[in-house]
Amino acid sequence: MKFNIDDLPVVFPYDRIYPEQWEYMCDLKRTLDASGHCVLEMPSGTGKTVSLLSLIVSYQQFYPTKRKLIYCSRTVPEIEKALAELKRLMAYRIEHAETEEEKENERNFTGLGLTSRKNLCLHPEVSKEKKGRVVDARCRDLTSAAACEKGRVNPGSVPLCDWHEGLNELEPGTQLGRGIWTLSDVEQHGREKGLCPYFAIRRMMPFVNVVIYSFHYLLDPKVAEQVSKELSKDSIVVFDEAHNIDNVCIESLSIDLTRPMLDSAARSVSRLGEKIEEIKVTDASKLQDEYAKLVEGLQEADAARDEDAFMSNPVLPDDLLKEAIPGNIRKAEHFVAFLKRFVEYLKTRMRVLHVVAETPLSFLQHLKDITFIERRPLKFCAERLQSLVRTLSLTQLDEYYALQKVASFATLVATYEKVGFLLILEPFETESSTVPNPIFHFTCLDPSLAIKPVFERFSSVVITSGTISPLDMYPKMLQFTPVVQETYAMTLSRNSFLPLIITRGSDQVAISSRFEVRNDPAVVRNFGSILIEYSKIVPDGIVAFFPSYLYMESIVAAWNDMGILNEVWKHKLIFVETPDANETSIALENYRRACDNGRGAILLSVARGKVSEGIDFDHNYGRAVIMFGVPYQYTESRILKARLEYLRDAYRIRESEFLGFDAMRNAAQCVGRVLRGKTDWGLMVFADKRFARSDKRAKLPRWINQYITDTAANLSTDMALVLSKLFMRTISQSSTENQTGISLWTLEDVLKAQEKRKALEIDMGMQAERDEEIDEDEYGDSGLPDEILAEMEVDP
Amino acid sequence: MPSSTTLTAPASYKKLGGTLELTSSALIWTPEGKRVPTVQVPHAEASALFCSKEGAAQVRLKLNVLGDDQGHNFTFTSHNALAERDKFKQELTNIIGRNRASTVSTPVSAAPSPLPLPTTKPKPTTHTPLQQPSPRAISSPRHSSRANSRAPTAPPSRPPEDFRLRKKVLINNPDLATLHRELVIGGQISETEFWAGRDHLLLAESASENQKKGKSGQLVDPRPETVASGEIKIVITPQLVHDIFDEYPVVATAYHENVPDPLSEAVFWQRYFQSKLFYSHQASIRSSATQHFVKDDPIFDKYLQVTDDGLEPLRQRNEHVEKIIDLMATQEDHAETGNEKDMTMQAGRQKGALPLIRRFNEHSERLLQSALGDAHDAKRRRLNASDSLESQILLDDLQDQNNSNGISLDMQDRYRFFEGRSDRSAKNSLSPADTMAGFTKMTEGLRGWEPALQTLKLDKKSTDGAVLAMTESVAARLNSKLRKSDIPEHLLRQMTTCQTAANEFLRQFWSAFFPPSHELQTAATSTPAQRAAKATKMIGFLKKTPEKIAALVQAAKREGVSTTRVEAALQPLSTSVQKALEFYNSRKH
Repeated sequence: MKFNIDDLPVVFPYDRIYPEQWEYMCDLKRTLDASGHCVLEMPSGTGKTVSLLSLIVSYQQFYPTKRKLIYCSRTVPEIEKALAELKRLMAYRIEHAETEEEKENERNFTGLGLTSRKNLCLHPEVSKEKKGRVVDARCRDLTSAAACEKGRVNPGSVPLCDWHEGLNELEPGTQLGRGIWTLSDVEQHGREKGLCPYFAIRRMMPFVNVVIYSFHYLLDPKVAEQVSKELSKDSIVVFDEAHNIDNVCIESLSIDLTRPMLDSAARSVSRLGEKIEEIKVTDASKLQDEYAKLVEGLQEADAARDEDAFMSNPVLPDDLLKEAIPGNIRKAEHFVAFLKRFVEYLKTRMRVLHVVAETPLSFLQHLKDITFIERRPLKFCAERLQSLVRTLSLTQLDEYYALQKVASFATLVATYEKVGFLLILEPFETESSTVPNPIFHFTCLDPSLAIKPVFERFSSVVITSGTISPLDMYPKMLQFTPVVQETYAMTLSRNSFLPLIITRGSDQVAISSRFEVRNDPAVVRNFGSILIEYSKIVPDGIVAFFPSYLYMESIVAAWNDMGILNEVWKHKLIFVETPDANETSIALENYRRACDNGRGAILLSVARGKVSEGIDFDHNYGRAVIMFGVPYQYTESRILKARLEYLRDAYRIRESEFLGFDAMRNAAQCVGRVLRGKTDWGLMVFADKRFARSDKRAKLPRWINQYITDTAANLSTDMALVLSKLFMRTISQSSTENQTGISLWTLEDVLKAQEKRKALEIDMGMQAERDEEIDEDEYGDSGLPDEILAEMEVDP
Repeated sequence: MPSSTTLTAPASYKKLGGTLELTSSALIWTPEGKRVPTVQVPHAEASALFCSKEGAAQVRLKLNVLGDDQGHNFTFTSHNALAERDKFKQELTNIIGRNRASTVSTPVSAAPSPLPLPTTKPKPTTHTPLQQPSPRAISSPRHSSRANSRAPTAPPSRPPEDFRLRKKVLINNPDLATLHRELVIGGQISETEFWAGRDHLLLAESASENQKKGKSGQLVDPRPETVASGEIKIVITPQLVHDIFDEYPVVATAYHENVPDPLSEAVFWQRYFQSKLFYSHQASIRSSATQHFVKDDPIFDKYLQVTDDGLEPLRQRNEHVEKIIDLMATQEDHAETGNEKDMTMQAGRQKGALPLIRRFNEHSERLLQSALGDAHDAKRRRLNASDSLESQILLDDLQDQNNSNGISLDMQDRYRFFEGRSDRSAKNSLSPADTMAGFTKMTEGLRGWEPALQTLKLDKKSTDGAVLAMTESVAARLNSKLRKSDIPEHLLRQMTTCQTAANEFLRQFWSAFFPPSHELQTAATSTPAQRAAKATKMIGFLKKTPEKIAALVQAAKREGVSTTRVEAALQPLSTSVQKALEFYNSRKH
């Protein structure tokens, strides 16, 4: 389908369009035209990604500036899906291009996704490593500039990676062909041609029109510096599924240190010392060179930073690069001594047996008092360590992981000394434990700090998700001013989903996951009977979410002992999320097989857990979602407490308001996974009496809230079952009314809507003029609404 | 005979439980838990068949074999033993009938040995079945049920099968049975004609028949019961033993290594249920607490496995997982950042629950595999990987579907119809100006309007009239409701019969002219000539309908029932019969 939005010709790769999609695209276009930021909430499953890509690609292809698109998503499955959408879109565009020239233009459009070495590696041994960190380190040993140089001069002296070597003969920009490549495509291509997928993608980055990767690659300064540095300023940045973006921001600037890590760091420091002594004897000039370079300043020293950087600075480089490394850590042996002292200091701090919370400023002061370490050299710690590692050409860098963390910690604490951070030392894991297991948290409290450089650097940032209510929360937390801020209702010709709030069991006992009552047998049993009853009446798949792992694990055990699960086994298979990601993936795969086969299954998992992020349960994979309890965060957590306090003081967001908002966005997120497209249907069951409160409901996205009827807002289990059965009976009838024109638009409908909008705008202009003339008369407000009047004039 | 004649049923032989199977070439009996059959009777050797009487305590079947007067005695053990025995009986009767016929012509083929060597047989049908590649001829009961569940709806193709299905449909459907008795047994229409257009009933019946009940989903979790004397008791059934071996291969190993020496069967189970091994297998989180009172057992403790409660499972699996559900890839997509998760969000803190959760996942997977198979599926999935990604993102309803081509409406005088319509619509449509004018006029008219209901006065007479009329109609309704149907029972039945029969004729008649477009695969796909003949036949029947109606009216008169009511009741019928007759006549000319 092709149509124009203002003067922009848009190609949409379907024959029809949902009204929401069209409105979404109009608003997106406004944002791009204004070169501003926006927050858009679009109902889950109404084709957000395809609308987004369709508009932006049309925009890129129409205007000669060719702004690059940086599309960020949360998880690898979502990245892969976005790439597949893009691939489909481009195939459609090529097919429907009018002239041969245009076709060629579409064919040249290139898009790629990026993920870690671990996910892309083809090397037979390296790829077998389980930890991404180890894969990174082993890959570097085989592909670093120094290793390659040696290996090529004297073949066989150093092991090299064949797949990486295969890339060298290719011109930059031709490592992969033009067009759209999903991650699996690149892998397949690499396997066939003997090329390394990871480096092929990395080297293609400057030449592509679209790059899709996860939030961290743009928000985490450690990664961003490596992969996102060269992206031009007029790029369009999209954060899809951005409802948790504030957490990603905070995570990317927070660090934990434990005692085993400090021990390992201390060992690494002494090994560094030994290496230096060694190299002093064999190749002293190397150290001399490094020293000379450091005197000149970091910028020159790192003129040739490239893809094999071992670690990078956790703060954005601009602040640092112009300064020279302080004198007292320029010499390698001085730096090692400096590190040793710092690690020792941290170890002594860990011996304290009571909880300590302090600001970075007070930490630095104390550090200075005890060890005479100043703030300035501390700030350069990470950068200096990288330089040293390179000079010494170290291998097996994963063993230096802990030291790297300590250096990052040092740099962060010295850089963000003022506000928005807190250091918390927790000597014990839980209140009741007696054996100390200290953790030193360096925690970021202000999500706007990490995203600030993104807003400053890129002119258009789009923040969008299916569940991002209340909308004004995000600009407040992330400190930016959007030009467009919109949420869309869902137009349906018949209700395709049924949200229900169960507040009490059939025995009228109120159900809640509130801490005081959650383990009450009556509540556990009532939760269980909801599961049993729904397993009897719902076909195919049911997904149930719990507020936390702790609660899920204890309730699963309790249900089993009560014989509740035995009842469920009669109707459905049971799969449960486990701590191991791979194990859970296999369980998930089997769950889907059971749903496809018709046997039906239940998946028990955790809101905010691994499964709740990025896995869809559309169609038969999820005919009902049950939320057992409100997914509040653990309020006893000291980190959370600190964050709440900060939000209150800095942004005037009340604790309860934030907690409620956070719980509801996660609940909505879980529940929203059941729908894809408007013919799909599902039940959404919220089982907790607190969901019935109006302040909670108000925080749900509009598109869900609009379909919660008053009767459905306060139900007992048996009443909910009656409604559910009725709903399923109705929805299983093939729909008689035609959706077209209401919840589904053809091209004519789009044109009509456009005309209507135009008429409305003219009308509003006239209205405004008239209002100016007759100031106090409220004549215009009575009578028929404007739209109807407008229609009367347009339609014959 | 095609291999689809395979029948299976649980049956005991010489007081041992097992499975009786009839394959395309032989009758086989396999004892429970074994793979090699102990009794094999090739078809050619079956000589005579005896059955226990219906209603006897045990459902038995005796097969005599050539050269062996003892024969084989099978007792059917499942709950619908009778039905299963009948199936076997029917098939075996056929086989024996054929054998008798063939012995006359080729008497050489019958060799007097119960287990004949394949080489001595001239006919391939008498080979031992185990060497045949037929997928149905698998010996173990579990395997055969799997093979069946994969192809649950084999359409019935053979007449005896069809006949049986029809019978079953009729039994389950009394109304249809009445009609069938009336028309087919009454000889008015043929059996085939009656079933034409009713194939879906047969298909549904055969599908539901072929659907095998799968394995129960419940976990094997024998819970001890306390009997009155205070002793703890667990009842061990062969089924339970089978399930335990299936669920915990380690118990099977232990059984094979220790029974009968050094432990007897009974002692084995007694000690198992008291061992730590049993408690570690029990699906309960409380089992960890029992360690204190469970005694050590030198034999069973050998088989104890490490508890699988680590964050990573003991058994690592490196299967290929589709990218769109690969959670590992997300975890390894970027280096770990941020602070540790709070206590409640760290998975696996409840150590006791982890083995339980893992057991659930494994149990579900095992159930799935027993129904779907494993390796084959994995391969197919990989082939479809790119397809499935595409289908994961596609929004179906946004795509133009090719609408199904329904029967186009064949309208007479189409031109005039549309002409008239457009005329009317032209007359009705107003120019925008007119609409606006009308709208303004209406607004004008309403401007001065004020609600003044207090001044509203109603004319007394008309109000009374209205109320009276309403009362009357209510009374009339009540009257008609209260009055019992005064048509005598037998007359009513006759009328109903007449109605359904004529309806059936009408159905047959119209389906002869307009065969259903989505013709199901049936044997009764008829040629135009056949259809024409059928229509003529039906019209013959239909012509008689008015007479029948007249007869009914006469009967009503004799009974003293108002004839008009009977006529009114049958009016729609005679109208539609009239229609059909007219149509037939117009077609003929």
